[in-house]
Amino acid sequence: MKIEDVVCTFCGCLCDDLVVEVENNRVCSVENGCTLANEKFMRDHRLKNPIRRDGNGWKAVSYDEAIRETAEILLDADRPLLYGWSGTHGEAQSVGVHLAELIGGVIDNTSTVCHGPSIMAIQEVGHPGCTLGQVKNRADVIVYWGANPIDAHPRHMSRYTTYADGFFIENAFRDRKVIVADVRQTESSAIADEFLKIDRGGDYAALSALRAIVRGKGDLIPSRVAGVTREQLFRVAEICMKAKFGAIFFGLGLTMSPGKYKNIRNAIELTQELNRHTKFTISPMRGHWNVYGSNEVFTWITGYPYAIDFARGIAFYNPGETTSVDILMRGECDACLVVASDPGAHFPRACAEHLARIPTVQIDPHVNATTHLATLQIPVAVTGIDAEGTAYRMDGVPIRARKLFTGSYPNDQEILEKIFARVKEAKRS
Amino acid sequence: MRVILNTGRTIRQGSYVERKTSADYMEEAASLNMNRMDMFELAVEDGNHIRVRSDHGEVVMKARAVEGLIRGQVFVCLGPYANHLVGPETHGTGMPDFKTTQVTLEPTTDPVPTIRELMERCGGVGYED
Ligand code: SF4
Repeated sequence: MKIEDVVCTFCGCLCDDLVVEVENNRVCSVENGCTLANEKFMRDHRLKNPIRRDGNGWKAVSYDEAIRETAEILLDADRPLLYGWSGTHGEAQSVGVHLAELIGGVIDNTSTVCHGPSIMAIQEVGHPGCTLGQVKNRADVIVYWGANPIDAHPRHMSRYTTYADGFFIENAFRDRKVIVADVRQTESSAIADEFLKIDRGGDYAALSALRAIVRGKGDLIPSRVAGVTREQLFRVAEICMKAKFGAIFFGLGLTMSPGKYKNIRNAIELTQELNRHTKFTISPMRGHWNVYGSNEVFTWITGYPYAIDFARGIAFYNPGETTSVDILMRGECDACLVVASDPGAHFPRACAEHLARIPTVQIDPHVNATTHLATLQIPVAVTGIDAEGTAYRMDGVPIRARKLFTGSYPNDQEILEKIFARVKEAKRS
Repeated sequence: MRVILNTGRTIRQGSYVERKTSADYMEEAASLNMNRMDMFELAVEDGNHIRVRSDHGEVVMKARAVEGLIRGQVFVCLGPYANHLVGPETHGTGMPDFKTTQVTLEPTTDPVPTIRELMERCGGVGYED
């Protein structure tokens, strides 16, 4: 059976034009997807049943047992951490927030180690963003700063920027200028009209130099700033100021480098300066397919986008204190529920060590690094393959991911609702 | 040799990220991408093993020559190998320094650990898929 307009639940582009063929509850072909989509749909390999650590080995347990044990672990904990959420649908994320409130825990999503600093900057100076449709149809200048879309968001350029013709851009490849700023050469920088090769840790200075030029203070600029020549900085500023509509996209090259959220603040303020001359927007290249959704869902329920601590009975947010890496580094949490992410692979080692010391339950379809650290793992359906649900694209547009077939796995929402019901019942009695 | 470790996404890492037990994932995640001149100075070739040490840990990886990296910088895709070296300090932002870890490199003949072994070193119990 061929299914059209399938949503790819891999990266934040959330492409919704895939054509997928399904036979006997397996995807057998994918059209329009990039390499990442093909791998995701075609080589899906799951954990077969819930497993529990048993001494130095593992044993299979039933879903009911696993759910009961998870509820007990959460009830026993004084400071539980509920982490992950970017790889599941909004409906499940919402149950997670209510569960965190019920147990007085901390709930945090993966933006804590991707675009958390971007959110902190946006909270300081705002977000002059727009949808990807606007970029596709209008933008004649595109800037990728600290981002490598060819590797991380392979269809971003072909659907929205460099190679995508739009309503006012008839021949994108000819009519759109592409500027890439990065500390290393990448496949993306290779196709740029201008590549600003920035010294490590020099993003803030390079952004400040561009701001100064756009502000008319170019005479202050020395012959080189962070490895970039004065001439090139002037050229790039001019391209931006002459644009009819410019769009900056930034990645983890800015959020993870020295300066962190101050880099993003500077980039947003450059965008503000450019808006004195023309129309310019700026947007983060959100990584996981529904990490933006986790920020939306957390915010509409609690008022905060990530790192929310319910220990006081109210929602409290303080990045650096209530963020997962800090909590784990301090050895503060005494239980962890990991949903749809892999902190074992993506957090510094000191955090992985703490996860191994405490009861850690993972709800995830696949065996990953966290599996080896966990006490219990519950496999679930994959949203966009055998589960449906709402996701938010990197520009904040909600898109409904469909189910391609009905499989045998429960989905995240069902498992979380059962855990929630048990915890609530225990609290009542 | 002292160098700076940068980490980030690669298309191969993304392709295999949901199959972390696969040899493909391990191959990508344990590759230490280097400038050729740095490799020359260390007297290592593509595929040779290198012990990478930081103030926070050490791990053996496989050297891989790439274009586009300046001398003194190495690149490892995000994942358990890179994170064996990255420190947990977030400077009040929640975000560790994933892109600027000082490391030292030393050729070795020791084997590259599997992800399961890395997690066992962290105190976990390996699960055989
Ligand atoms: S660009 Fe992202 S959303 Fe689009 S097909 Fe590739 S992985 Fe999927």
